[in-house]
Amino acid sequence: MGRAGLRARVTTGFAAGALVLSLAMASISYQLVRQSLIAERENAAVRAAYYDAAIVEAGINNNPTPDIGTVLRSLDTGDSRQAVLHLDEWHARSADVGLTDAIPTRLQEHAATGRVGVQMVDAGGTPALVVAVPLADGAVFYEIDSMAELDHTLRVLALVLTLVALGTAGAGALVGWNATRYVLRPLTSVANAAKEITAGRQMARLDPATEPDLARLTTSFNHMVDQLSARMERDRRFAADVSHELRSPLQTLAAAASVLDRRRDTLDERTALAAGLIVDEVDRFQRLVNDLLELARTDQPADRQEVDVAELARQTCRDHGLDPGIVTVVGGPVAWSVDRRRIRQLFDNLLDNAAGYGGGATEVRLTADAERCRIEVDDEGPGVSPEDKPLIWSRFVRGRSQSSSRADGGGTGLGLALVAQHAAAHDGTAEVLDRPGGGARFRIDLPDCL
Amino acid sequence: MPGVLVIEDDDRIRLSLVMALEDEGYTARGAATAEEGLAAQRAQAADTVLVDLMLPGIDGFECIRQLRRVDDVPIVVVSARDDTHDIVAALEAGADDYVVKPVAIKELSARLRALRRRARPVAVDPVPVLSFGDLQILPEAGEVRVGGETVAVTRTEFQLLCELAEHAGRVLSRQQLLQRVWGYDGGDERLVDVHIGRLRAKIEKDSGAPRHLVTVRGLGYKLLVS
Repeated sequence: MGRAGLRARVTTGFAAGALVLSLAMASISYQLVRQSLIAERENAAVRAAYYDAAIVEAGINNNPTPDIGTVLRSLDTGDSRQAVLHLDEWHARSADVGLTDAIPTRLQEHAATGRVGVQMVDAGGTPALVVAVPLADGAVFYEIDSMAELDHTLRVLALVLTLVALGTAGAGALVGWNATRYVLRPLTSVANAAKEITAGRQMARLDPATEPDLARLTTSFNHMVDQLSARMERDRRFAADVSHELRSPLQTLAAAASVLDRRRDTLDERTALAAGLIVDEVDRFQRLVNDLLELARTDQPADRQEVDVAELARQTCRDHGLDPGIVTVVGGPVAWSVDRRRIRQLFDNLLDNAAGYGGGATEVRLTADAERCRIEVDDEGPGVSPEDKPLIWSRFVRGRSQSSSRADGGGTGLGLALVAQHAAAHDGTAEVLDRPGGGARFRIDLPDCL
Repeated sequence: MPGVLVIEDDDRIRLSLVMALEDEGYTARGAATAEEGLAAQRAQAADTVLVDLMLPGIDGFECIRQLRRVDDVPIVVVSARDDTHDIVAALEAGADDYVVKPVAIKELSARLRALRRRARPVAVDPVPVLSFGDLQILPEAGEVRVGGETVAVTRTEFQLLCELAEHAGRVLSRQQLLQRVWGYDGGDERLVDVHIGRLRAKIEKDSGAPRHLVTVRGLGYKLLVS
């Protein structure tokens, strides 16, 4: 699984931070509130136990034969408190239903020493506070104060604080999400500018004034683009200089070779053969230099204009000595928004390729719809073997393998590389398929040309 | 024999071009600088002039402009520079064609023959005047008038205007115009675009909103009937 994006990570960080912080705050608040409430409740319980113990002690002392049950029943204990007296044996207001079991032994031992004791116990699943008040004559008054209400309050408080913590984490995530959107906005500008530069618009720059906090980033980016543009300009100029320096002597060679070629009949056989080789190689050298210079212009974007591609294809066929009738328009308009020079060369190279390796093109098909425009050139040659299909678009590949039935047709080895480059300049693709019935089918897909 | 003047500063290229063109049946002369070339053309006019752009002193663009001021001889630029900007600038300076070095002699010869063929009389009906609103074409006199005023046009521009006038109201594609005016089967359509631009600058009141020579997007150009 890939690493989460920056925005997702920052948002998660904000959410986690908010959660930890709010949980810590909630926990501290809960503890403080809990201690405060319990302490308050303990004090109240102890005061009530003292008060009730005084009533019980008075009831016992003022009566030689006291009815302890009646005395205990006279206490106003409400629903939450229960009174128990230990005087030789346990006495309660009603039948003991395990009430005395709730009184811990340690508390009983503590009270037996004549000291007041308080202990929190678990009485049948609910917390309770047992207060032991020693009386005269070894009697001990116990009051069991149920803390169920306080426990419920604390549970509600815990739930509310947990929900608040989760809400805070959600709010943190939202803040993180919005903050990253704000922070990433300049990066989006950088990405858009980079995209424009990639598309060939080398004048694209970022405005440092737009995001003063990111002035360093925009300045660095602009500096990098300046350097890159300067480098590309140097390369372009170098290519132009190389081009000029190569073209000039080639012109001399071409003209001199033409003079030699015209006089080949007057030369002896050996010299005529050498002259023929020079003429052929000068011609191939010319084409090679032109193709190399064309390949060197990869950085230039497609110069799109409205072109009647069907007419261009027919004209190219005529120039190659082919019947223009092999051009068929399968569907869609024929006026495409493409770079005329590149598409003309694309047709040239595909027809040359078909002539060199496939016995000549048999059909040139043009299809256009809203999604893409398609050029297909068919031949009825031996086709392209599966292992050669991905390789033929590479530079200087000519019938590479022994298995290939396509031999070197004397080309520069750059024709199909240029086809792929011209397709890419239009954000398109080039592929070779098997033609139904035998032969090769070269397919060029060009998006957004209508 | 047709004469060709080769204005080229590189001795080896100039010598080999002159030799190769002579083999093709032309009477060829060479000039190493624009000044030499202009003087040679004044002394003995050639049928066609080949000009390199990178010349010492007066450069090729200025050489073309100066040649254009004195006559409408067909000018072909033969340059190693293949930048669109250079091609358009050379055509706008007044060149009729532009070929990038290295050019095969057979192709160069074919282009020169096509340029020479254009010198034949214009194939329009022998009418004294063709009128299109304020635009008047006098085929036999080789004259163009706008609002009664004579406008100076080159031979290629005149040929182009006559071709469009012959098919007034109908669209001619760039390829058709290349074939009929330049005599090329296929070729660089920028030749047509630049010459149309130059014609518009001369015959239209506002070349940005032409009233005679209109572009039909994706198809070509047409001369409006009225």
